[in-house]
Amino acid sequence: MTVPTISVRCFRFDPETDAEPRYQEYRVPLPDGEMSVHDCLNYIRENLDPSLAYFINCQLGFCLRCNLRVNGKVVPACETRAEGDLTLEPVNADEVIRDLWCEST
Amino acid sequence: MTVHLYDRELACDLLVVGSEGAGGPAAIFAARSGLDVLIASKGKIGRCGASQCAGADFNLDGKSAKELGFPGDDRDSPDRFFEDLVREGFYLSNQKIVEKYVRYAALNTADLLEWGMQIYRFEQVHAEEMARGLLSSGVKWVRAVRRQVQKMGIPIIEDTMVVDLLTREGRVIGAVALDLKNGEVVLVKARAVVLCTGGWQQAYHLTSAPVDLTGDGQAMAFRAGTEMIGMEMVQYIPMTMLWPPLARKSILPYIMMETEAGPMIQLLNSEGERFMQRYDPSNLEQSTKEIVAIAGELEVEAGRGSPHGGVYFALKHLTPEGIDFVWSKFEEFLDENKDKRSEFRRLLPQLLERAKTEDLEVGNAVHFMAGGIKVNERTETGVPGLYAAGECSGGLWGSVRVASATTQAGAQGRVAGEVCPEYVRSVEHMEPEKAQLEAVHERIMAPMQRKEGVAPVSLLKRMHGVAGEYLRVIKDGEDLQNAYDELSWLRREETPRLFVSASKTRKLNYEWELCLELENMLLCLEMSTLASLRREESRGAFYRRDFPHTDNDKWCVNTVISNRDGEPALHLEDPVITRIQPPKGRMSFEEAVASATASLKREEVDGP
Repeated sequence: MTVPTISVRCFRFDPETDAEPRYQEYRVPLPDGEMSVHDCLNYIRENLDPSLAYFINCQLGFCLRCNLRVNGKVVPACETRAEGDLTLEPVNADEVIRDLWCEST
Repeated sequence: MTVHLYDRELACDLLVVGSEGAGGPAAIFAARSGLDVLIASKGKIGRCGASQCAGADFNLDGKSAKELGFPGDDRDSPDRFFEDLVREGFYLSNQKIVEKYVRYAALNTADLLEWGMQIYRFEQVHAEEMARGLLSSGVKWVRAVRRQVQKMGIPIIEDTMVVDLLTREGRVIGAVALDLKNGEVVLVKARAVVLCTGGWQQAYHLTSAPVDLTGDGQAMAFRAGTEMIGMEMVQYIPMTMLWPPLARKSILPYIMMETEAGPMIQLLNSEGERFMQRYDPSNLEQSTKEIVAIAGELEVEAGRGSPHGGVYFALKHLTPEGIDFVWSKFEEFLDENKDKRSEFRRLLPQLLERAKTEDLEVGNAVHFMAGGIKVNERTETGVPGLYAAGECSGGLWGSVRVASATTQAGAQGRVAGEVCPEYVRSVEHMEPEKAQLEAVHERIMAPMQRKEGVAPVSLLKRMHGVAGEYLRVIKDGEDLQNAYDELSWLRREETPRLFVSASKTRKLNYEWELCLELENMLLCLEMSTLASLRREESRGAFYRRDFPHTDNDKWCVNTVISNRDGEPALHLEDPVITRIQPPKGRMSFEEAVASATASLKREEVDGP
């Protein structure tokens, strides 16, 4: 049985070294069928690219520091189910520290 | 070439490491007595650590509760609370610390009321026959603490990981931290330091604790020369969600078990059998956490587990209407208390909806560390200038935590804040030694400078693999020896080769932080395994298949680990006793549990 995969496009930007932001695409398998946006990011970090910066803490909606723009809509990454391809961006692209982590995180 | 050993320098009277349930009160009380306090938090205050995730109940005895205006119970007293804690902790507690805890439990409650924490109700928790619980929420707790810290204007450095303590002439004189956002190395000169850093749960793959808990406090205290006590006392929580994945790590099923809906819940194995009927026919799923955790693990071992390695949490027998009724009761309670926590408001109804047609999967997750940095009743560690409060400390609970960790945090945090000013005023700032600054700087920077070696993510997976294979609820000598050999090899041979593999940026570099955390987690896990290997009996949270008896004749002693030239060395120490002598004799684990928890079934003799 083949495991379904989705495309996760992540906003990458370091304002100190990069002229402008870019998007990097990762293929993420969904072996459990249902995963959160955080699960996808953890998969990327642990298997594909540990250089991706994003915030994670309680994973259950307590700290509410993990807001991201998921396909354009601002939602907590831990509570949001990954359904279909994703584009992940920081809440405020003008104040990015690195990648998906911005000053207001 | 001159190497800059730090990028920024700060100075304070007292550095508090950790900003939440324990760190907040430590800072507040020290600042109240006039100290210049600085808090360092690995996250943001009110939004990190384990406190925010607490259920949460706060404990105090019924008599003190009544004095504070709650319904309470005159039959109860701090003394009676003390006796129950010592007995239910299987007599390994430092009784001086327990005496302080029961007294400060009431003071902590008064503090939290003063700081505006909403309390939902006074109730019976932990199955005690007397009500000793004040119910609130972890989020409301940490917000109340944050408001007070901010009101007092106590400065905080956030998203900053304290890496190591600085010592000179045998005392702690400050710390070196890493600002995770910009990668700056920060020197903090302090006349004393209080550690409030929580447990080391992240050393295990499945834990109910958030990502910050990586044993930083325990490991840096060990490196600074303190002793560790009871490191084998790792507590599991048996009803942590494994499936569906969106709820993974949540302890909602356990919380449900503690409510009026509890007796309706059934745990089933893959054959559909309500297996607790075999392990504890009278209490079933309401048995102690330890017994339910052992039973679940035995079912999985016997091949009767669920697909994701746990057992089934079943509500289907309630019918959809019954499940809706359970939710309506929860919702009423949440509305009544204006509780907006997402875990309850969002996740719980989703899970209950699914429970109408599916059996959910739950399993044993590492939940709480009953042991840690050895302290006395004044939160002093033995190294002058170093204090530890809350979960990172050890000595209060003996072999199992049977009352609230929230109250431990608040009570011990306050004790630390009250005790340390006297010491702080008796010492001057000291310049750190260059050699020590160089050594810490080297430890921080080495993984960035190495061009090859061991990637931190691969070491993390190997550590989790060892913990998952050998360090489960049910332990035995062979597994423990294997775990010890592998862990000590990983720590000695692999951590010195850790390298940041993907990007050498100093800003928000996950691999860099993980390299530093792995050293701490591996050290804690190795010390825990060393202590587990030595304890040839079963007691409280600790269960060995090859030594299933609780042996009060030989093992009513604590394991203590000290730092011998950088390596953990274990010896045994008798518990500190003030009033209650441990019993003699050897009994089966089940008998010991029944005897320690006898008060739970005690008849009410003199009515309310």
